[in-house]
Amino acid sequence: MLWAVSADSRQDFAFAFLSILFEGAPFILLGTLISGFIDIYLPSNTMDRMLPRRTLPAILVAGLLGGILPVCECAVVPVIRRLVKKGLPVSCALTYMLAAPIVNPITALSTWKAFKGPIVALGEWGTASASVVMTVSRLGLGFLVAVAVGLIVSKIPLRKLLKPKLVESVEAEGKATASAKDCGHDHEHGEACCGHDHGHSHEGEGGSRMVAAFRSAMRDFTDVGVYFTIGVAITALFNTGIAPGAEWLDTLAEGQVAGPAALMALAFVLSLCSTSDAFIAATLHKFTWGAKLAFLTFGPMMDVKLLFLYQTVLRRRTIVLLAIGLFLGIGAAAIGWQAAISAMNPPLSAP
Amino acid sequence: MKSMVLSRSLQALALILWGAVLVYFHTSGRLVKYLAPDFRVIAFLGGLGLVVVGLFCLLTAREYATCGHQHGPEDTHDHESLDIHPIGAFLILVAPLLLATGWTKDSYSLAALTRKGLDDTAAESGIFLASTLPPLTKEIIERQHPPDENGYRQFPLLELFFSSADPEMRGLVGGMQVVTEGRLIRDPDPHAPANQRRLYRLFITCCAADSRPIPIIARFKDAPPEVEDNTWIRLSGTIGYPDEGEGHHAVLEVDFAKVTDPPVEESFMRGF
Repeated sequence: MLWAVSADSRQDFAFAFLSILFEGAPFILLGTLISGFIDIYLPSNTMDRMLPRRTLPAILVAGLLGGILPVCECAVVPVIRRLVKKGLPVSCALTYMLAAPIVNPITALSTWKAFKGPIVALGEWGTASASVVMTVSRLGLGFLVAVAVGLIVSKIPLRKLLKPKLVESVEAEGKATASAKDCGHDHEHGEACCGHDHGHSHEGEGGSRMVAAFRSAMRDFTDVGVYFTIGVAITALFNTGIAPGAEWLDTLAEGQVAGPAALMALAFVLSLCSTSDAFIAATLHKFTWGAKLAFLTFGPMMDVKLLFLYQTVLRRRTIVLLAIGLFLGIGAAAIGWQAAISAMNPPLSAP
Repeated sequence: MKSMVLSRSLQALALILWGAVLVYFHTSGRLVKYLAPDFRVIAFLGGLGLVVVGLFCLLTAREYATCGHQHGPEDTHDHESLDIHPIGAFLILVAPLLLATGWTKDSYSLAALTRKGLDDTAAESGIFLASTLPPLTKEIIERQHPPDENGYRQFPLLELFFSSADPEMRGLVGGMQVVTEGRLIRDPDPHAPANQRRLYRLFITCCAADSRPIPIIARFKDAPPEVEDNTWIRLSGTIGYPDEGEGHHAVLEVDFAKVTDPPVEESFMRGF
């Protein structure tokens, strides 16, 4: 496409593309370094041990675990797959899967940085920095949506949610755990000789774990970087008006329903990492704050790449229902949130 | 094993390249045109970090490493497989970056600036900046804007632009002889007179992608100076705020112009 356009358009694309990439790359590096070291150094049963035994408190805590175990949406799926196999309740696992990419310090930091500057008018309460408003709203909505999904999922039988192979694996693990009490070795520690994972580290096996951690971080950076680059390129094309449909997208921007719906669709297609998507949302200045909130909450929970990743854990029907539920739920919340902001002080709430 | 080493090496090279581009733009001073000040140090440190991680992984690409935990019998996950083929990932990471680095002129064209609001009036701009405007008395305005050697009062472009949205400021500043500087570019309005140009600077929140032009109209008595679009120029003349059917625009009737060097901070930054 870019070879067919004028030199001016290429210049515009390059300027916008590089500026977003320069802004987001350091945050992706930070996020992937942390996820790489978690991947290698953190035993996978750490989270299981942190959760209360009762369902509701366990789901609530699972929704906040991203605060101490920060992972982006790409890294979280293999983690929860592993945890579900090890017997972590699916409701808690899905809550963590949906919340962790949003409710974590790296995403909070990048959202705060990306929206630094603009002011949101809050009527009689005065004004507040968009950094604070968007960060708090994003983390709050992400947590609430994830907990709601966890509570719904807790009422549904496992077989209706998970892939059959995973259900069998969970059941086999359950039987093995039960029989382990008689098998003569301790499952709280020790070797992986019994054919299932004890989820702990084995020191002194040879080879550097530090190297493995950096490689894992590099892998994460590459995976995320690929989607980020594609997302930034598409955003730059729309941002500078080169992409076909850019004008049409602009016409949707002010729509109370069309705006959030369009940005959720865009988030689905762009498949951005939650650690860097705020930098793209911040450039969509024709859209309302509510539409941006929908973009920032829906994207980390459901996008094209996650469709594929979720299929390693969930049944297709579950994924479709989850996607529809998230679209409607987050869309409704964002529209209501924007309506509340607009009602407070419409003239000053322009993004 | 060989393909794994190749994959690691390609990924490491991509990281080094990303890091090198970030470090280059910072050290060459070009980064100021792309990012707001507090992002520049972060970008530089991120660039250094990318180079260090990339070099480390490149130098240890052949080294055996273990994750240190057991994978269950059906758990085939590893810690290195990519979503897409390593060569594809490398090309996606590197090709757009290199092309963009080659194509960029560190500025927008007239078309992009127009899309971003080059012909917007201050009232339409949607940027909340009332707090940046000075108190509204003529004495204070004159004290804050001392005349230059030619007797023209020095105004930042931002202030001229936003004063057009304020009736009181229009009354106080209108008709004043002022001097200001910015980038000169053709007028996006195809019906604009031949002697009319726009003088603008970008207003950046975080990065150039979210920037908005802050423009005023420059009308020359004779032919405008023959300079390339986006040339930095200092214009002296009489400011006015006529409503020519699209709201009040700041219009500078230019007495004389002088090409100048760009300032250290070419764009306006919010909060800096």
